[in-house]
Amino acid sequence: MVEELENILKDATLAISNACTIDELDKLRLTFLGKKGIVTIIAAKMKDLGKEEKPAAGKALNKTRSVINDALEAKVLNIQEKEDKKIGENIDVTLPGNPLPRVGRHPISQMLSEAVNALRRMGFSLANGPEIETEWHCFDALNTPEDHPARNESDTFYFADGRLLRTHTSTVQIRTMQNNEPPVRIISPGAAYRRDEIDATHLSQFNQLEGLYVDKNVSLADLKGTLEYLLHSIFGKETRIRFRPHFFPFTEPSFEIDILLQAQGKQPKWIEVAGCGMVDPNVFLEVNKSRGDNNYSPDQVSGFAFGLGLERLAMIRWGISDIRLLIENDIRFLHQFA
Amino acid sequence: MKISLDWLGEHIDLTSYSAEDLDRLLTFSGIEVENIIMMPDKVIVAEIKTIDPHANADKLSVCMVDDGTKDLRQIVCGAQNFKIGDKVPLAVPGAKLGNGFSIKQSKLRGTESHGMLCSQSELGGNDDQGLWILPTEFKIGTPLNKIYPTIFDLEITPNRPDCLSHLGIARELSALSDKKLKGNPDYTLSETPQRIANKSEANILSPEKCSLYTTRIIRNVQVTESPHWLKTKIESIGLRSINNIVDITNYVMMEMGQPLHAFDFNTLEGGICVRPAKEGEKFTALDGLNYNLSTDDLVIADENKAIAIAGIMGGADTGITEKSQDVLLESAYFLSPSIRKSSRSLGLSTDSSYRFERGVDPSQIIGSSELATKLILELAGGKADKETLISNAYEDSLQSISLDPDKCRSVLGHNLKDQEMIEILEGLRLRKIEIRDNISDWEIPSYRRDLTRTADLHEEIARVYGIDNIPSLHAGWFAKSSEADHFFDFIENNSNELSSIGFYETRTIKLTSKLKIDDCVCTDNLNAIAIKNPLSDDLTHMRPGLIASLIDVAERNLHQGAEGLRFFETGTVFPGKETSEEAQHLAILISGPEQSSWIHPSPTPAGFFTLKGILERIIDKPIEFILADIKQENAAFIVNIAIDNKVIGRAAQIAPSRARQIDARHPIFVAELNLDLVFAERSQQVIYQELPKYPSIRRDIAMELPFSLPNREIEKVLREIDSSLLESFKLFDLFYDETGNRMDKNKKSIAYSLTYRNDARTLKSAEVDTEHEKILSELRTKLPIEFR
Repeated sequence: MVEELENILKDATLAISNACTIDELDKLRLTFLGKKGIVTIIAAKMKDLGKEEKPAAGKALNKTRSVINDALEAKVLNIQEKEDKKIGENIDVTLPGNPLPRVGRHPISQMLSEAVNALRRMGFSLANGPEIETEWHCFDALNTPEDHPARNESDTFYFADGRLLRTHTSTVQIRTMQNNEPPVRIISPGAAYRRDEIDATHLSQFNQLEGLYVDKNVSLADLKGTLEYLLHSIFGKETRIRFRPHFFPFTEPSFEIDILLQAQGKQPKWIEVAGCGMVDPNVFLEVNKSRGDNNYSPDQVSGFAFGLGLERLAMIRWGISDIRLLIENDIRFLHQFA
Repeated sequence: MKISLDWLGEHIDLTSYSAEDLDRLLTFSGIEVENIIMMPDKVIVAEIKTIDPHANADKLSVCMVDDGTKDLRQIVCGAQNFKIGDKVPLAVPGAKLGNGFSIKQSKLRGTESHGMLCSQSELGGNDDQGLWILPTEFKIGTPLNKIYPTIFDLEITPNRPDCLSHLGIARELSALSDKKLKGNPDYTLSETPQRIANKSEANILSPEKCSLYTTRIIRNVQVTESPHWLKTKIESIGLRSINNIVDITNYVMMEMGQPLHAFDFNTLEGGICVRPAKEGEKFTALDGLNYNLSTDDLVIADENKAIAIAGIMGGADTGITEKSQDVLLESAYFLSPSIRKSSRSLGLSTDSSYRFERGVDPSQIIGSSELATKLILELAGGKADKETLISNAYEDSLQSISLDPDKCRSVLGHNLKDQEMIEILEGLRLRKIEIRDNISDWEIPSYRRDLTRTADLHEEIARVYGIDNIPSLHAGWFAKSSEADHFFDFIENNSNELSSIGFYETRTIKLTSKLKIDDCVCTDNLNAIAIKNPLSDDLTHMRPGLIASLIDVAERNLHQGAEGLRFFETGTVFPGKETSEEAQHLAILISGPEQSSWIHPSPTPAGFFTLKGILERIIDKPIEFILADIKQENAAFIVNIAIDNKVIGRAAQIAPSRARQIDARHPIFVAELNLDLVFAERSQQVIYQELPKYPSIRRDIAMELPFSLPNREIEKVLREIDSSLLESFKLFDLFYDETGNRMDKNKKSIAYSLTYRNDARTLKSAEVDTEHEKILSELRTKLPIEFR
């Protein structure tokens, strides 16, 4: 039996040293040491041996087991070591990664989000208003003359019931003041509509961001500080900004705001990005009339309002030359803003 | 409006200002400078003497030109439109053209060129077709900027009609600078006319539309071409020279801002009246077109016919021609609303109507007539009647406005001194009448009809003082979040989540057409709101839902080669119902596979359950899908999406026939949610649950059930079972065979795995067996199922 075991040990040692994979070793372990393995079968014969043979056979059996076991374990370590080394050698790290979706929000939304964030840092809260509006909210309350061209059916979309699609988000100024006591400090993003043929620079529906701040002693200096901060947040601290006197019916004084656009290889150019001004006293009076009180008395409160065109801001920010790209939603376009 | 710098120079000395200085002054006073047309230095008049082909280039020619010096100059030129003897602009080396291009002496294909012959567009004009051929009378060697004055193209806001003339701009510049006006030019005639008021010759029948009408007759004039100075002057600002009389009326308009009209007196029959047009009255105007007038239009008429549409355009038959001998000169005050309305309804806008619409200066009406009369006598001879006939003499009382300097400082947010304010207003020619308690009253000049309130004075002070000189304030108060703030954040979060899992956000316009509305398969579209005055057939209604827009986007992208489509849009829809006329919706469109890669070369195309999984992810609460009993032509099936039995939106598969129309290669799935409802249902704060301390035990169930029995029934039973040990359950396998080969085709097999746990101790296998058996028998009792 001892001899038999010695032969088995020889076979096992040889087989183990010839093995190349962990799988082969697992099989060898079963072949020799498994429940039905060669060594196990021989061990079962121990009980048939004579008393004097047993100690030597037992010793040989234990030795065989432990040597095979050690050899297997050593070989496993040996193979693992070799395989571990290969890992670093066999990988082509230059193959492309398995892609995850890479999608950004629509450029208009990104622009809006930035502007809203900046204005919220200054303490503005959001307000909403409907897009289908009354003529009163869109024009009368905003000090627009009866025969102002914007009221024409050639310029503004109307409905059968006499209401219209708001031509600016300034309607929310009126709704906010109707429903809230001063002071108010709000912004309102939303759609506005003009009866314009769609082309490279016009859309019949576009997006604005409106702002209104009414309190005691709100001044032109507040307006300037707010809009400078906003535009610097969007276009960078270095951007040059100018306020140019202009005319709007609902503000007095009124300004347009230009930023100096420095496109590469081109002469720097002032581009209009916003309209703003001090709320016209007539707007307050009209609001008071509809509220039936005098809480927005032009003698007691003052305020400023502004409106930004989001399409315009996005086009300047990303150098987009055709406004229609912003409503076509071509993946090849959208993907660039990821 | 074009303004000539030379012409302005007659009113104000601007020699110390560069064009850039003036640009800045005007821009910051609220007058937008759209363009400055200025001839560059070192561009002169030259005459072509010889033209020879270039030896090495087919398209070039070599010219010798006379530039007024002793020797001819050799120029290589690429244009074709000129001949020997033509006078053309020559840019000599050192000249800098508009686009920053500077002229150097150079060799073109081996031939020396000592300068460049220019097109109009190279010198700031519009015409880029070949060389600019100049009038032959120009003297060789003259710099072009001596011939063509610098022109400012200005955009005047509608509140400032007083700036629609050279005099007006000069007045404005004098307020903005330290330059004084040179003093009013002398318009008065040597022989002061008698002013005869309310003569019946000009009878105003519509005084509410015309409050002042004056006429002056000049007899025996010579109608000829205008002299050179007048012609170039009006041509320099973009007007066409007609004849001396018409040119004079245009000149006076551009000088004073008052539109005039000259009639051929001998074509008029009887006395003139200003009356409303008759309904349907036909009128042939100077532009040769026939106009159909209405009673809203105001006309000037003689006894038999209309001779002008008041303030807009004269008649074809009564205008000044070379045969005219006697001129009737009209200068009048037509009121803005009437002219605006007529101009718009007739679709006819002229320099004259433009000014009347905005408002002219009533105090200049007679002065303008006199200036024109004086010029006519000088340039066309003749003799002026002694009287100016005036109808309805206009009595204009000047307005006054008070200014409280403290209020002004508060509006500006800046400590401007009282004296600074006074100087600004005086510079604008307002007259201080009175000061009491620091509050001053100011008389407003007749031409500043835009100044009516104190706020208008604040504007003037801010404008002239310069907003650059006002500091920027950074102050404010803490803001409360509004409901709109929360809703905005809710939409931002949803949108960011959708982009992060690969959905492109679209933004489409909210106008749509009746035809497109059929694609809105997730909304009720019966009440879609129609626009009364649509601009085109494809934008006639307000969108009742978002799916049509997403189908459009899908089509566009399919046609450019996209395969996998993942889009969402958030925005206003217009269901048109009394209860919710406008609502905020979110729509999702999904079709085709995710992006493929070398690791996953052919990913599975999106199916209905891909869509459902996305909706389950973005909605906080458990949602239920219930097949809806709604048929729409463009949908294969429609599903209601509900939270706690409340429908918050719909999902659908687009009908394959519709998908094929847009060349889709994979099924298209869509969903649309009413965000107002989802927002109201959003979960409140998350509360942390203790982590389990004891292990769980899992048991699987495989069951066979009728094909038509929805999974919801199984989940309902499992959810309602009263078991303290059942922690959760999860479907992990579904099998059916439509062919019936491997399983009865009316049946399906569903496998669930159930997780049991006791929070207080480790479960024993035996007690789980008992509990599991209880659940199986519950399922068996309540549903027609068998276990496998």
